[in-house]
Amino acid sequence: MKSYAHLLEGLTVQRVLWVTVICMVATGMVVGFFINTYLDLLLSALCVGYTSMVLFTVAGNVRQGGLPREAIQIMAVVAGSVLGVIVAGLIKGRDISSMLNERLVGVAISMGLGIGFGCVVVAGAILRAKHARDQARIAKAEAERNQLEKNILEARLQLMQAQVEPHFLFNTLANVQHLVETDAASASRMLDSLINYLRAALPQMREGATSLGREVDMARAFLDIHRVRMGSRLEYLIDVPDSLKARAFPPMMLISLVENAIKHGVDPCCECGTITIRAADNEGRLTVSVADTGEGVRPTSGGGGLGLTNIRERLKALYGPRGSLVLEENTPRGVVASIEVPA
Amino acid sequence: MSASAVIADDEPLLRAMLRTRLARLWPELEVRHEMADGRDVERVIDEHAPDLFFLDIHMPGVNGLEAARTIGSRAHIVFVTAFDQHAVEAFERGAVDYVLKPFNDERLAVTVERLKERLERPPISIDSLVEQLAGRLGSRPADRLRWVKASVGSSVRLIPVEEILFFQSDEKYTRVVTSDSEALIRKPIRELLEELDPDKFWQVHRATIVNVDHIASVKRGLKDQAEIALRDHRETLVVSRAFTHLFKQM
Repeated sequence: MKSYAHLLEGLTVQRVLWVTVICMVATGMVVGFFINTYLDLLLSALCVGYTSMVLFTVAGNVRQGGLPREAIQIMAVVAGSVLGVIVAGLIKGRDISSMLNERLVGVAISMGLGIGFGCVVVAGAILRAKHARDQARIAKAEAERNQLEKNILEARLQLMQAQVEPHFLFNTLANVQHLVETDAASASRMLDSLINYLRAALPQMREGATSLGREVDMARAFLDIHRVRMGSRLEYLIDVPDSLKARAFPPMMLISLVENAIKHGVDPCCECGTITIRAADNEGRLTVSVADTGEGVRPTSGGGGLGLTNIRERLKALYGPRGSLVLEENTPRGVVASIEVPA
Repeated sequence: MSASAVIADDEPLLRAMLRTRLARLWPELEVRHEMADGRDVERVIDEHAPDLFFLDIHMPGVNGLEAARTIGSRAHIVFVTAFDQHAVEAFERGAVDYVLKPFNDERLAVTVERLKERLERPPISIDSLVEQLAGRLGSRPADRLRWVKASVGSSVRLIPVEEILFFQSDEKYTRVVTSDSEALIRKPIRELLEELDPDKFWQVHRATIVNVDHIASVKRGLKDQAEIALRDHRETLVVSRAFTHLFKQM
C-alpha cells in the first residue's frame, strides 16, 4: 500500500472542495434543461466529478512512458465521466441494462456534460500547472543570473586584490633598493619595468576589457622584473603578431598564466626555465598561450587551481561556451596553458 | 661580538643586499654560506655549523618554515619576509626575530642588537610557532590528487580536480567528465577513491565518484535508489542503494 500512496499525491481537501463547488455550479447551470430535480442532478454530477478527480490525480502521478502527462489526464477525465455516470446510476438504484437501452440518451447527455465540464476544468488546471512551472523556470534563471553576476563581481574583486600583490611589490622594491647601491643602471631599468607594469595594471581596475597588446606589455614588464629577481634562471620569448595586438582580450588573465608558469613551473625546478607567450588567430578566434619548460604538474601539486578556476569562471561569464582555458603537457617538459576567446 | 650565519633566499640580489647591510651593521658577523632554498639544511649545518640562519619564508622547493622545522634548536633563526601580516603578528607575539624586505637600516640594527643578546643563550625551539605559521600560510596535505592527466588526441590534457563533475568506470577505462569536455583515463575508480579528497569526492555507486560541489539536486528514484542532477550537465547519476545513506537528511 505504501508504495502506491504517492499516486494520490495532490488529492488535497482543497481539491475536493473545488470539485464540489464546481459540480454545484455546473448543476445549477444545466438544471433548467432537465426534468430531474437539482439534488438528483447534483448527485450525478458529484459522482462524475469525484471519480474524474481521483483518476485525474492518479494520472498526474503515474510514471508514464511515451504519452504526455496532459493527454493521460484528459483520458482520465473521459474515463472518469463514463465511470461516474454508471456509479451514479447504481447509487440511484437503476438497472445497468436499462441505462444502456431506453435511458441511453440521458446517460449520454450526463456523460457528455461530465466530459465537457471536466475538460474545461482540467484545461484550467493544466494551464495553472504550466504557469507555475514557467514561474519556477523564470525564478531559476533569475537565480542563475544573480549567481553569475555575483561570480563576476567576486572575480573582479579578486582581480583588484591580485594586482596589488604586496609581496610582489615589496620584493621588487627590495631588489631596486639593492641595485641602487650596486648597479645604478640596472636599478633604473628595473624601476622602468615596475612603472610599466603598474601603469598597465592599475587602470584595469576600472575597465572591463583591454587589448591583447596591453596585456602582453604588462606580461613583458612582469617577466623583466622576475628575470632580474631570479638571476639567470628565467628566460622568456614573446611571439605575438602586431596584427593581433589591437584585439580585445579580458584583463589580467595573461598575467595570471605567466605568474603560474613562474611560480609553479620555473621557480620550483631550480634551474633555468623559459616562458613563451604566443598568440594566433584561428578562423577569427583568438588563442593566447603561455608555455613553460618547468617541472610540469605533479598529480598532487597544489596551487594554481584557484587562479585557473577564476579565469575559467570569468571566461564563462564573458563568452559562455565559446571561451575556454585548456592546460596541456609541454614537450619535452613543462605546461602549456591556452586561452581561446571568440572574435 | 663574533658570530657565524647562513642566508637563505631564492632571490640572489636580496641575499647580496642582506649580506651588504649586515656587513655594515655587524662587521664581526661572518656569513659562511648562502642558499637559494631550504634544501640541504642538514648538510649546511654539518659543514658550516652556523650560530644563525636568516630564512626567507617564501622559497620554492623547501620553504623557510620547513627549513626552520629541520633546524629545530640547533641554531638561532631569523625570518625574512616581504609582506605577511599574519606572519609578522605571529613573530611579534612569539618574540621571534624577523626582518622585513625592503630592509630598513634602523630596524635591522634593532634586530642585530637583539640577536647579539640572544646568542649568549642557547637557541630555543620555535616548533609551535612554526606549526602555527604553517597553518596560517595555508600549507595543506600534499598527497591529495589535484590534477588528472588525460590524453586528448595527441596531447596530454591537465584537468584540475575542481573542474571534474564525476568519474565513471566504463569497462577498461574511467570516464572523466567536466562541464565542457570528457576524457578517458586508465586509473580505476578504486585507486581514485584513495587519492581524492574524501570531503569533496563521494562514491555514490560501484562505478561512480561524484564531485559534491557540482551536485544540483538529489531525487529519490526507483527501488531505493536515488538520482543526482548536476549543474552544467545533462547526464544524471544513479546513487545505488548502498550509498543513498550519504544523502539522507540533506
